[in-house]
Amino acid sequence: MSILEVHHIEKHFGATHVLEDISFSLEQGQALAIIGSSGSGKTTLLRCLNFLEVPDQGRILVNGETLFDAADPATQLESEIRKKRLHFGLVFQNFNLFPQYTALQNVTLARELLAREQGGESREHILEAGKELLAQMGLADRAGHYPHQLSGGQQQRVAIARALALQPDILCFDEPTSALDPELTGEVLRVIRGLAEKKTTMIIVTHEMAFARDVADQVIFMDGGIIVEQGDPRQVIEHPREERTRQFLSRYEEG
Amino acid sequence: MFETVLGALTMGFLQTLKLFAVTLIGAIPLGLVVSFGSMSRFTPLRWLTRTVVWVIRGTPLMLQLLIIFFIPGQWMGSSPWPSGESGRFLAAAIAFIINYACYFSEIYRGGIQSVPVGQQEAGLVLGMTKRQIFFKVTLLQMIKRIVPPMSNEIITLVKDTSIARIISLQEVIWAGYAFLKGSHGYSGLTWPLFFTGVYYLVFNGGLTLLFGWVEKKLDYFK
Repeated sequence: MSILEVHHIEKHFGATHVLEDISFSLEQGQALAIIGSSGSGKTTLLRCLNFLEVPDQGRILVNGETLFDAADPATQLESEIRKKRLHFGLVFQNFNLFPQYTALQNVTLARELLAREQGGESREHILEAGKELLAQMGLADRAGHYPHQLSGGQQQRVAIARALALQPDILCFDEPTSALDPELTGEVLRVIRGLAEKKTTMIIVTHEMAFARDVADQVIFMDGGIIVEQGDPRQVIEHPREERTRQFLSRYEEG
Repeated sequence: MFETVLGALTMGFLQTLKLFAVTLIGAIPLGLVVSFGSMSRFTPLRWLTRTVVWVIRGTPLMLQLLIIFFIPGQWMGSSPWPSGESGRFLAAAIAFIINYACYFSEIYRGGIQSVPVGQQEAGLVLGMTKRQIFFKVTLLQMIKRIVPPMSNEIITLVKDTSIARIISLQEVIWAGYAFLKGSHGYSGLTWPLFFTGVYYLVFNGGLTLLFGWVEKKLDYFK
């Protein structure tokens, strides 16, 4: 059984058809890269998975459980959605760290709030786990720093630790390096590569073609809100079948 | 003479401070409620709130004060306010709280809306409730942004309390003016009126320092 199944997702913004009949599945421990030009619907798709947008049509299943079904309002209750979001983590293009909290507090805040509500984990345990995550990101010495004291690459690594702290089933990245200076993308990509090696289930929206080819187990190319081509990364990126994919990739080679 | 005047002015200024403090205690939280109303996704509530804010901000505080204090008595036959200074104070406090809550609400709204929407989304994907997001994420960022405009409003409030004189609340200017027209056996004394300004200056100087300190305290994040 796939960890994630997406069936026939449709999304409109007014008259614009942003997502059209999007279906795919993802296996546990695999990384899926979504490529495509700006406005192709990649980010909207991630936002649908994280319940930041509500699809007009379609179903989303995690571990066989229906999390969202456009035809079933019972799956869209606000109180339920909050729990369902925890299946997914999302790393934003602009990090969106909480500026008034230190790196460590950013990582532990949500988990502490959950523990306070539901009981269970002790505060010490959460703090330890948070420090460990920061250490994994190579930021052990930055735990007490505030976001504005960190470089973009460091901030994004804190954001990754923050998303991992809640142990999501599927970690989503929305162009994680697009807001970074070129010399800072490497450190973030290295961290994501490390997660892939540890078989973290991930969906990565990216413009880094070489990275997608090397790290992903599966690639989806989107254009104009539809999936044009999907499959093995080497096949899609190096030997695309579709003309639109070829055109898109050739722009990257030139650029 | 100096001691008599100083005593009377200080009594007056205590009343000024009392109205100032009560207004803040009431208007700071009420303003938040009003700002939520004016941002509500429920359109009738949003329009109702914005209309109230328009009326309150669009008419003089002095008019509101006169209406609140005198009109109920006119219409109901007897005044609902307790007699004497306590009734005048209560009416003034209510008028000031409503008036200032409306001004504060707009400052809050600006502050809340200037916090990037990504902050809220980050909270949502981390499974936080809207309430947790507001109190744990948005609120402090909003406070940091609104300190300068709030300090403006609050300093204005210190001076606006003198408007309560129109319903004979015995605040500091009322006390100073009393020496001009006759009080404590003195009349025609002009300096006490000037001297009321010293109270305002000293107090507002203190407030300015306080706001500077708060701004500095919140400087640890950007």
